Amino acid sequence: MSTRKINDQLELMKGTLDLLVLQTLAPGRAHGHAIACSIERRSDEVLQVGHGSLYPALQRLLKLGLITAEDGISENNRKARFYRLTTRGRKYLFAEASKWQKFSNAIARILVPVVE
Amino acid sequence: MFGFKNRRKELLQEIETHIEIETQQNIETGTPPEQARHAAIKKFGNVLVAVEQSRNVWGALWLENLLRDIRYAARSLSAVPGYTATLVCTLALGLGCVTAMLAIIQSVLLLPVDLPRPGRLVQIYAEERPEGTSASPQALSYEAIDALRRETRSFAGVSGYNTMVRPVQAAGEVRVNPLMEVTPGFFQTLGVSARFGRLIGPDDGKAQVAVVSDKFWRERLNGDPKAIGAALTISGKVWTVIGILPAGFQAPGMTGAPVAFLPVSAGPSGQDTFKIESAIVIARLKEGVSMQQARTEAQSIFAHSGHTYAEQHRRLGMHSYQELVTGDIQRPLLALFGAALVLLLIASANAANLEIGRTASRMPEMSVRSALGAGFGRLMQQLVTENVMVSVLGAALGGGLAIVAISAVRHAYAGKYPRFDELAIHPLVLFAACVLAVVLGIFASVAPALNVRRHTVGRLAARSTTRKSRLPGLLVATQVALTCVLLVTSGLFVRTLRSLENVELGFDPRGITTLVLMPENQRQDPQLSRDIETRLLHKFEALPGVQSVTMQSEIPFSNYNISLHGTTDVAGRPYKKGDSAYYSFVSTNFVKTSGIRLLKGRGFLPGDESSGAIIALVNEAFVKMYLSGRQPIGVTLRFHRDPGDTEADLPFTQPMTVVGVIQNELQGADLGAPYEPMVYLDHLALPKTSFLSAVFSMSGQYAVRSALPETAVATELRAVVKQDAPTMVEMSLKPMEEQISQSLGQRRLALRLVAGFGIVALLLSAVGIYGVLAYSVALRRREIGIRMALGSSRREAAGLVASQAGKMVLMGLAFGITGAWAAGHAVRSFLFGVKALDAVTLSATGALLLLVSAAAAFVPAMRAARVDPVETLRAE
Repeated sequence: MSTRKINDQLELMKGTLDLLVLQTLAPGRAHGHAIACSIERRSDEVLQVGHGSLYPALQRLLKLGLITAEDGISENNRKARFYRLTTRGRKYLFAEASKWQKFSNAIARILVPVVE
Repeated sequence: MFGFKNRRKELLQEIETHIEIETQQNIETGTPPEQARHAAIKKFGNVLVAVEQSRNVWGALWLENLLRDIRYAARSLSAVPGYTATLVCTLALGLGCVTAMLAIIQSVLLLPVDLPRPGRLVQIYAEERPEGTSASPQALSYEAIDALRRETRSFAGVSGYNTMVRPVQAAGEVRVNPLMEVTPGFFQTLGVSARFGRLIGPDDGKAQVAVVSDKFWRERLNGDPKAIGAALTISGKVWTVIGILPAGFQAPGMTGAPVAFLPVSAGPSGQDTFKIESAIVIARLKEGVSMQQARTEAQSIFAHSGHTYAEQHRRLGMHSYQELVTGDIQRPLLALFGAALVLLLIASANAANLEIGRTASRMPEMSVRSALGAGFGRLMQQLVTENVMVSVLGAALGGGLAIVAISAVRHAYAGKYPRFDELAIHPLVLFAACVLAVVLGIFASVAPALNVRRHTVGRLAARSTTRKSRLPGLLVATQVALTCVLLVTSGLFVRTLRSLENVELGFDPRGITTLVLMPENQRQDPQLSRDIETRLLHKFEALPGVQSVTMQSEIPFSNYNISLHGTTDVAGRPYKKGDSAYYSFVSTNFVKTSGIRLLKGRGFLPGDESSGAIIALVNEAFVKMYLSGRQPIGVTLRFHRDPGDTEADLPFTQPMTVVGVIQNELQGADLGAPYEPMVYLDHLALPKTSFLSAVFSMSGQYAVRSALPETAVATELRAVVKQDAPTMVEMSLKPMEEQISQSLGQRRLALRLVAGFGIVALLLSAVGIYGVLAYSVALRRREIGIRMALGSSRREAAGLVASQAGKMVLMGLAFGITGAWAAGHAVRSFLFGVKALDAVTLSATGALLLLVSAAAAFVPAMRAARVDPVETLRAE
């Protein structure tokens, strides 16, 4: 797969991926690998291009102040970087999630089979 | 940079941890350890892309990339010094010319003159061809200035001046010097203040005071700060210097001259001594008053306060003071700027072609980088950086060239053209040149970048196919077209110069020496001056080796001409508004000395002046305009009297009788000027009561015909003046042919500049044609080899290149000729004796371009012919 194609797909998924990361961090802190695995379990599409694309998204969320990072020790005793939601991030996730919910409800209503 | 190195390291570490955890998990799920890590890496994807994109999020990546690109570009450019040098020199030439011309235009035409609120200063002038008598077509009378000053509500100040050249004695030395007579409000209107002392003010109307320019002070008063109070003797009167002007002030029309300013010698009623309209009028608009309003007001003031019929019906024009100062050189400068822009376009086309060629040779590198994950934008950025770097380098060199050129021009022409002493390259111009260079760099990258895009989207195999691109050919055609335009324009100028040199002068300038004398005391009795001048005339005629001598109030190419332009009644023809002629006063031997052909009737004879009647000669143009189909001999002429004019308003009322018709002769100092209707009168016949007799006795202009060498004639004439008329000052003594050649100086300079641009353009085009063909031969080597292996001859291989060259050049010529026609039309006012679309010039230019193109195509064609088919096939 060429680099350009990857870029296009990322562009498309950026918003989705950001939201997924935030969602994953909602219960508590996690390191990069855990986030990647969690997202992978929940969505087969978004991370198909490789775990690597998670990192630019993390940097973006850090810069926006939606998450923070701290150093910690992973479950198998490795030094790792853990991410957690900030208050702002939680608010943002809530707002975006309800927006998505409304949107998907609307779509669902449109796609309801027409009663003859 | 911004701690990004550390963050990058941390990120890489984090990613490493990620991969290790993944590997660990893979091992736990039973993957063999050696494959576990590989699978983890594969799952992660491109680490560098992830890092790169993360950095992009951090920001300032562009800066980092830019610095890296610059380093990289510098390295890769220094690897191809020939290419870089050609490119930089091409751009330096183009940008240098444009920068220099921009600087000249900005300094001379755009920057406001160095006076307070210069935008409010205007000149008021007579718009249509003046009737009645005037000193210059635009001049107005001092009475009119006074009326304007008293009645206006639109102007904060109205002032006037007229210029003349007189013998001036300063610090014990008499020299011919330009003078400006100014109204008392002149300096106040302009807003100039004195460097030393004070300037002429409202109370100095009658005072014998003078103000001098900085140059006059340095040259004639030794730059002495105590020069205030020094005496100038002009025309037997003593004037006291009261002030010295600052160095930066240049009076209009007096560029580089040492000038003395005197209060205008106005009579009791505000009338100047000559009773003719001789003042150039400068006014300052009040704040908030538009030029249009002011003009309308001035017009109405003229309508009721004008002293003569002509003055009351004068249509006034108004333009900015700046226009008065630099109006004459505005159009030539803009035309030269156009030529410089064309040159820049040619240089840019060359640059674009060179860059296309270079990018093509770097295609494999681009493909590899693209395959490694570099986005198109990233590759584009690299290309743009490199091109912009080269063009900025070119702009820097060009700027250097321009600085040298500008200082050379300032040095050579500061005293010749207005405001050239202010020439400088302002930072704004350099900035504009830099912006231009950056834009050029970006544009030049577009075509190569599109090539890159095409290639990187396709496969690496593209390297071995022969792709034809139309763009380089089109660029060369454009170059040829533009070069054609420049060359045709210079060709037209050459033809103009030739026609001017062969213009029918009417008189025969060979062997003529002109001498201008002026009485040291301008106020001496006109009759006395006239007697001295006539006595000298006879003395000159008696000199050995002198064939004949004439006096003329108007000698072609003299700077001391006094011309009288008068409305004229021709007997037997109803007067129409605008019927007028120029009057020249000559002595008896005029026809013989000037070598002018007498077409009908007779010339002046000795004794005519005492016959009582005023006899006149007229020229062909006069006959054609007013006497066509009639017998001109014996016709009576009179100065026309407009309703309301008194006798005193006319030069004289006596009738003039035409006794002869002569060939048209050149008037003034412009070889290209059309012939005007002329009336020649014997200066001795001028009625003594006429105010003209005072005007025309102020200077004596002699034309001396002799077979002796110029220096011998000059020595003889000077000896006579020294002995017989020591009170007469020599203003000018020159062979007429020298003056004719001087009059062409400005046109020669323009021709040299445009031809210079043309030659540079031709060189650049030749380089362009050569470059494109050489590159194309290199690309098509394989194709040519295969063609030869299949039986094509060497001649046919060369023909392939030649036909490619021919197509480009012919297409260019077709557009070029169209462009040249348009350009010829644009410069038609500079042309003389040649049409805007001139077959001779066009065919000569076409032939030259074809020849140069053929020479440029020769080497690549030979190279194509020498391709070895065996070698090509082996390489396959």
